[in-house]
Amino acid sequence: MPEIRVTPLGAGQDVGRSCILVSIAGKNVMLDCGMHMGFNDDRRFPDFSYITRNGRLTDFLDCVIISHFHLDHCGALPYFSEMVGYDGPIYMTHPTQAICPILLEDYRKIAVDKKGEANFFTSQMIKDCMKKVVAVHLHQTVQVDDELEIKAYYAGHVLGAAMFQIKVGSESVVYTGDYNMTPDRHLGAAWIDKCRPNLLITESTYATTIRDSKRCRERDFLKKVHEAVERGGKVLIPVFALGRAQELCILLETFWERMNLKAPIYFSTGLTEKANHYYKLFITWTNQKIRKTFVQRNMFEFKHIKAFDRAFADNPGPMVVFATPGMLHAGQSLQIFRKWAGNEKNMVIMPGYCVQGTVGHKILSGQRKLEMEGRQVLEVKMQVEYMSFSAHADAKGIMQLVGQAEPESVLLVHGEAKKMEFLKQKIEQEFRVNCYMPANGETVTLPTSPSIPVGISLGLLKREMAQGLLPDAKKPRLLHGTLIMKDSALKELGLVEHQLRFTCRVHLHDPRKEQETAMRVYSHLKSMLKDHCVQHLPDGSVTVESILIQAAAHSEDPGTKVLLVSWTYQDEELGSYLTSLLKKGLPQAPS
Amino acid sequence: MDPECSQLLPALCAVLADPRQPMADDTCLEKLLDWFKTITEAGSSLLLLQENPCLVELLCHMLKPQDLSSRVLSFSLRLTGVFAAQEDCFQYLQGELLPRLFGEAGPLGGAAWTAPTVRSGWIQGLRSLARHPSALHFLADCGAVDTIFSLQGDSSLFVASAAGQLLVHILGLSMQGPADGPPSLQAGDWPACAKKIVGHIEESLRSTATPQITQALNVLTTTFGHCHDPWTRVLWVRLSPLVAGLLEKDPVPAAHSLVDLLLSVARSPGLSSSSCGLWETLAQTLSRLSPTQAGPLALGILKLQDCPQALRAQAFAVLLQPLACVLKATAQAPGASGVLDGTVGDFATVDTLLPSKAACVGLLCRTLAHLELLLPLPQRPCPWPQAPLLGAAVTLLQLCQGSASPTSDTGHHLCALLLGCVRVQRAALDFLGTLSQGTGPPELVTEVFAVLLEYLRSPDSSPTVLKKAFQATFRWLLSSPKTPGCWDLDPQALLFLRELLPVLQKRLCSPCWEVRDSGLEFLTQMTGRWGGQAGFRHALLASEVPKLTEQLLRDPESYVRASAVAATGQLSSQGLCISPASPEHPGGQQKSPLSELLHILSTDSEGFPRRAAMHVFTQWLRDSHADVVGDTEEFVAGVLQVASQDLDWEVRAQGLELALVFLEQTLGQPGSPCPYAVTPPVVAPACPLAQALQPLCRVRLFEFAFRALFDCDRPVAQKSCDLLLFLRAKMASSSSPQEARSSPDVASVEAALQRWQAGDQAQPLGDLEPEVVLAVLKSMDLEGLRGALAESSDHVEKSPQSLLQDMLATVGILGENEADCY
Repeated sequence: MPEIRVTPLGAGQDVGRSCILVSIAGKNVMLDCGMHMGFNDDRRFPDFSYITRNGRLTDFLDCVIISHFHLDHCGALPYFSEMVGYDGPIYMTHPTQAICPILLEDYRKIAVDKKGEANFFTSQMIKDCMKKVVAVHLHQTVQVDDELEIKAYYAGHVLGAAMFQIKVGSESVVYTGDYNMTPDRHLGAAWIDKCRPNLLITESTYATTIRDSKRCRERDFLKKVHEAVERGGKVLIPVFALGRAQELCILLETFWERMNLKAPIYFSTGLTEKANHYYKLFITWTNQKIRKTFVQRNMFEFKHIKAFDRAFADNPGPMVVFATPGMLHAGQSLQIFRKWAGNEKNMVIMPGYCVQGTVGHKILSGQRKLEMEGRQVLEVKMQVEYMSFSAHADAKGIMQLVGQAEPESVLLVHGEAKKMEFLKQKIEQEFRVNCYMPANGETVTLPTSPSIPVGISLGLLKREMAQGLLPDAKKPRLLHGTLIMKDSALKELGLVEHQLRFTCRVHLHDPRKEQETAMRVYSHLKSMLKDHCVQHLPDGSVTVESILIQAAAHSEDPGTKVLLVSWTYQDEELGSYLTSLLKKGLPQAPS
Repeated sequence: MDPECSQLLPALCAVLADPRQPMADDTCLEKLLDWFKTITEAGSSLLLLQENPCLVELLCHMLKPQDLSSRVLSFSLRLTGVFAAQEDCFQYLQGELLPRLFGEAGPLGGAAWTAPTVRSGWIQGLRSLARHPSALHFLADCGAVDTIFSLQGDSSLFVASAAGQLLVHILGLSMQGPADGPPSLQAGDWPACAKKIVGHIEESLRSTATPQITQALNVLTTTFGHCHDPWTRVLWVRLSPLVAGLLEKDPVPAAHSLVDLLLSVARSPGLSSSSCGLWETLAQTLSRLSPTQAGPLALGILKLQDCPQALRAQAFAVLLQPLACVLKATAQAPGASGVLDGTVGDFATVDTLLPSKAACVGLLCRTLAHLELLLPLPQRPCPWPQAPLLGAAVTLLQLCQGSASPTSDTGHHLCALLLGCVRVQRAALDFLGTLSQGTGPPELVTEVFAVLLEYLRSPDSSPTVLKKAFQATFRWLLSSPKTPGCWDLDPQALLFLRELLPVLQKRLCSPCWEVRDSGLEFLTQMTGRWGGQAGFRHALLASEVPKLTEQLLRDPESYVRASAVAATGQLSSQGLCISPASPEHPGGQQKSPLSELLHILSTDSEGFPRRAAMHVFTQWLRDSHADVVGDTEEFVAGVLQVASQDLDWEVRAQGLELALVFLEQTLGQPGSPCPYAVTPPVVAPACPLAQALQPLCRVRLFEFAFRALFDCDRPVAQKSCDLLLFLRAKMASSSSPQEARSSPDVASVEAALQRWQAGDQAQPLGDLEPEVVLAVLKSMDLEGLRGALAESSDHVEKSPQSLLQDMLATVGILGENEADCY
């Protein structure tokens, strides 16, 4: 029977690094190729040795699909393509293709900058990897090969994020990547049509949470920044070059404009320019409000946000600075943090998650006395705020998407085991479908019903049409006819061919014992059918090709024997001939 | 263990033992385990446990029936294994803890076992502790080996694979034997544990279930791959009939694993020479497996150092067969295939080998990849059928392009299967490039260039195919026949070049950035190689390529701008740039390449082009480029001034690289070895050092270097430190008496440096005198700084103490930040 197999190498019951292998109708696809920022060694990448043991990667994998530009979804890609040796196609949307290298490069620079990172890819490798990318448009069906096709759907979450439908013949899998079912300030809500896939692989970060409106968090953020600036403090917002940074820039820019604020806002690297360029370029991927406003004023052309120079950090008076990297573990953001941490008027706002082993993680866990290099202790007096702006679907949103797509089964990834368990039960109860949550390395196998095209005679169709009912997938109708199947269909369905045999009883007048009658039948047929293989078997029966003849006593008349003749439909002609021959009786035995 | 860590440990163990305290960051436990491994590798585990009783308490806590986190349980199992790896510590833990953690009474029988992470922890724990004979007894007593057998078929790939590895390890350990010598080579006398494992392997090999056979084969592959002790030979003698028996089955089960095993045995020095019929088995396997399955085996056999010639021939025939089929199917005249006459019997073979599109494409790609791997090896088959293989590669490319004209039905069929197939195109172009290592008949080489040109010209070629076509073209141009001792292109290659340049020109205008970039990379390579050759220069200057390259310096895509910068650098070095005063552009507003690149360095919004410009400048300085030699000081001062202000730390670091080159050219090589000592020797100046430093002061090199010393980006600081150390080494070797010991100037510079170090970089240094520089340099603790900079910038945050603090600090605040991510 055909089947779909799913094995997460990452994101199976965790939110580390997404990498999911899917086998569908003999095609192998890798969904996302993420990196874990919490490790400094090879553990940061998924363990690809489980794929390489199947032979050459490029031969084994038909394609790699990247859902969006976050590093936990694409960070291992240059390593996979340039160091592990995958040389096949990589699919992602146009904005992801444009933005992905910026983030990879940004991260590479941080990794090299802070040192001590082993086995990391180079700038050239990022470029060579990006050259292998085939960019796709939303709702465009892309043929990977003759049988495998993929299609992208809008996922919200970040610019260019997409859900992907993977289809081979009539079998399909939808992978959501990360998605958001509520529109935010610059992106719309995820959407998918009623594609009824065999399997929906969905993220489940907020599997048990109903999140408050993002508006509340945004208001909170602006209030805090405003308060700090009003009291003359400096606000540091550590960010990664792209994504949340732009979202917060729009927020502040609009707020500054509205409130007529004068405190300068700086962005620490030149990257913002390119990022904003892409946000402008891919304006169609943003939400309707931004698109409408774009006609009057480009939201990404910031009046208040200027490029930062290192010397500005010592300027007196309030200011807001966006600085990379986002976890305060190297470079500019860490340097500014050290400078400003001692003043209680200042504030640092962490708009995202920080892995252990970073200053960001320390201050978020409430540590206020930080050991610095050379045994110096930095006392953090500045206000520390955490604001989660991550845009994932909450429990309600996930249920909504499952309802939209109407899958036959659901598989949860990118979440915590306990929360997944809860959501799994909810999905199974509400939608009456199977829901799976494999751990990393565990394979889920789903049998699928093969779809076999059936030819139907025009006459039969016309007769059905005459009844006046139009075909409806939800209302199956009974249709009488004879279904003829060929070998390949049987094989595909995993069925064994039925052996149909014709049978016939021939009465012979013969008072001898059954064995002797059988012997007489054998001798007679042997003499009559010289071109055929006639055999007398040890159990007393006689065979001619597939035809079987057995002699039995008549239950009522001991002088009559009954010949039981059976044959397959392939030997129908011979069977009929033989029966007619036997019906004529046996030649008299020499006395 | 540090006293600070020791102090924190009890609290941490209490947190770990509390099921209500989940760990926020899943990497913490991994890092904690890493730390314990480091400690136990360096010292006594027993002492560690005795000094920190909280650790044993934590492990004992795992024995209590409670709702434990599977991650913490898994961690505890692994930690126990790390401790018990030392025999005295094993004895210490053996009483109650080990049997209850790893035996039937432990997690093995409980609900926690359903979590793969716990099963994985159990295996890894055992893997760590199985290091001594006592551990073997323990494994036998607690029935662990049977559990490992069953875990080989675990639903988790990770667990199943680890179980197989553990079996291999236990088998190896038990065969090491006690201290009084290894066990007998008679399999009957082997230790019970080894016998049990071997018995299980035998049973699995006899099984009809493919997964079981696969598991057994994988265990054997790893065993023979890692251990070459004499007992492995006995094992192979015993098991080889069973392995050979697998070949009798139809279809051959677990073919992939079987191939791995046979190759592992063949590579094992003690086994391959044995008389266990290995070569016969290999030959039989080659003939029994499908072409796709047999390919890796054939390649593996051909890579072996010594194996019978007949087997090598058979293996090579298997590898070549698909290409022979292609040649046969497309041959214009019968018998013209020539790859392997006699191997491909008739068209029926073609149908079997290349039946459907998927099978055909897969097999051809694998074959090409295998041959590509084989070609550069010294043990490749000899004679190497270079010409037929070239013919096959060209034919395949023509079939994919639709330019082949097959005469037979099979040829037409192949053509239909391969038309437009990007996978085969990519594989064939890679293979064709590799084939350039050999030669070929001139008419075939002409065909190679023709097909490459066809691909470079074709509007249907995808960007990846084009990139590979460019690479293959460069390799073929490199290998084109040349006069000995002369690196010039031969007339045929020059002719080809004249056709190629208009194509390159067109590709440089492609709407696809990938294509423009590949085109520029190709141009840079070619110019680097043949830029000095008259024929090439003439052809290039006659084309629009230099002009287009200049235009691409303003490409919207930064990758392309960076490649255009590199190409311009190369063209300019060879005098191939359109000069402002060239007769073709009289009175034009053309800027010189130097000012173009300086403009990019100062204004480009992205790092790649600026970094590329710095590379070019450094190279120009090294090579004494004409534009640089004119006024080197002005050039260096200009570049350094821009680079020192750059936001991208890599540009600043390259600025220091350029400064170092200038320093070396000014002062000559240092006495001590320097990591950057790659430049050609320059004659050391005869004048006193202070005088020699004058030009360096004039280009404001020292202000840049001193400022960079306190750069927030560590590699910049490190580079600057190296540069100043180089200078100081120079000072030490010079006997210059002119030093300003202490002067107001020196004090003010030192004060400024201190402020910079404190983070206030606003104040400039002003003009520096060489004597002041020397005095400041002498007083600085550069060695200490270099030591500090050698550490990663987050080494404090990554320390064990910091890890423990972080884990403790996370307690209780999880609700808020829990499960957030990007």
